[in-house]
Amino acid sequence: MDLFRLTWTILWLSFLCIGGGLGIIPEMERQAVQVHGWLSAREFLDGYTLAQLTPGPNMRVAMVIGYHAHGLVGAVLAGLAMFVPTAVLTAVVARHWSRLRGRPWAITVERTLAPIGIGLMAGGVYTLARSAIHDARSAIIAAAAALLLATGRVPPIVVIVAAGVAGWLLAAR
Amino acid sequence: MTRPGLARLTAVFGWIGLVSLGGGRSAYFHDALVVQRGWLRDEEFLQDLALSQVMPGPNFSNLAVALGYRLRGFPGAWCALAALVLPGSVLLLALAVYLWRGIGPEATLALQAMSAAVVGLILVMTARIMRVGLRRRAGLLLGAGTFLLVGPFALPTVAVIALMLAVGLWLNRPRASEALTPRSETGPPSEAGPRDQ
Repeated sequence: MDLFRLTWTILWLSFLCIGGGLGIIPEMERQAVQVHGWLSAREFLDGYTLAQLTPGPNMRVAMVIGYHAHGLVGAVLAGLAMFVPTAVLTAVVARHWSRLRGRPWAITVERTLAPIGIGLMAGGVYTLARSAIHDARSAIIAAAAALLLATGRVPPIVVIVAAGVAGWLLAAR
Repeated sequence: MTRPGLARLTAVFGWIGLVSLGGGRSAYFHDALVVQRGWLRDEEFLQDLALSQVMPGPNFSNLAVALGYRLRGFPGAWCALAALVLPGSVLLLALAVYLWRGIGPEATLALQAMSAAVVGLILVMTARIMRVGLRRRAGLLLGAGTFLLVGPFALPTVAVIALMLAVGLWLNRPRASEALTPRSETGPPSEAGPRDQ
């Protein structure tokens, strides 16, 4: 029963994804951590970090939720629920897209969804920052990473791995 | 315009999935499919990018699906999705299984430091998108309102999206003056430009 609840929750979350997966992070955290208690806020954040660290879409974080809730079966079901239904919808619309996109209402929808998507993404940053920034050290690491990445010269993966190495060395000291 | 076979498509999409770590990922598709291989024209790519942003669902995989559909129909779409998501998923699950057996203090601190860096990364990415995406006044209102309600006020996302959609569709409703100037086929797909996650 809970397996069904997990799949259903991830499924409706996937349909709330507007603009970027980051946007549904606040609701995903609320559902997985507070409502259903499938994992802790810290585990959720770690899951997002691992999804960012490994190749592929970040929304594979849903599979981490599934894994915590119901092991590998949960992970697979969560992954299918997150990616497949919206993919089917996109493929079907792709068939007619070149004809639809010139319509005035298509422009209206695009203009409306883009800023809502951005607002949701900012909400996602807010949610993850609340778990990730808990002391001076994590605040300094986040600020340093942001500054480095803002220059546009350092690849994101290098910054994240470097932060991991720094954390490891600080602990081993 | 050459179109690839299914096996070739799967290989190329799988490779893009593997190398596109961290951010700015739609750019990898553009480079691989338009610039390097000439499988698609620029305007075809931009159309699919816009579609992936309008449709619900994870953007990056939706873009792969739209591009895969254009290249090889429905089989192309499914191969593109599987190639993009599966390799990283196996890696992620392997890491998850390994890590949650219990990790030492060093690994815990390393993971916490990486999480902090990820927050810095998504902050920069979101700020970049804001700069291009929130120029119109209506857009600024919608973006700021959505953020406040979902973030600090912690309201359910479904309710916030419903409210903001209603406000936004009304603010951006088609007007007679715009109906006279249809958008050109080669125009930018959306005001927000390339975006992913």
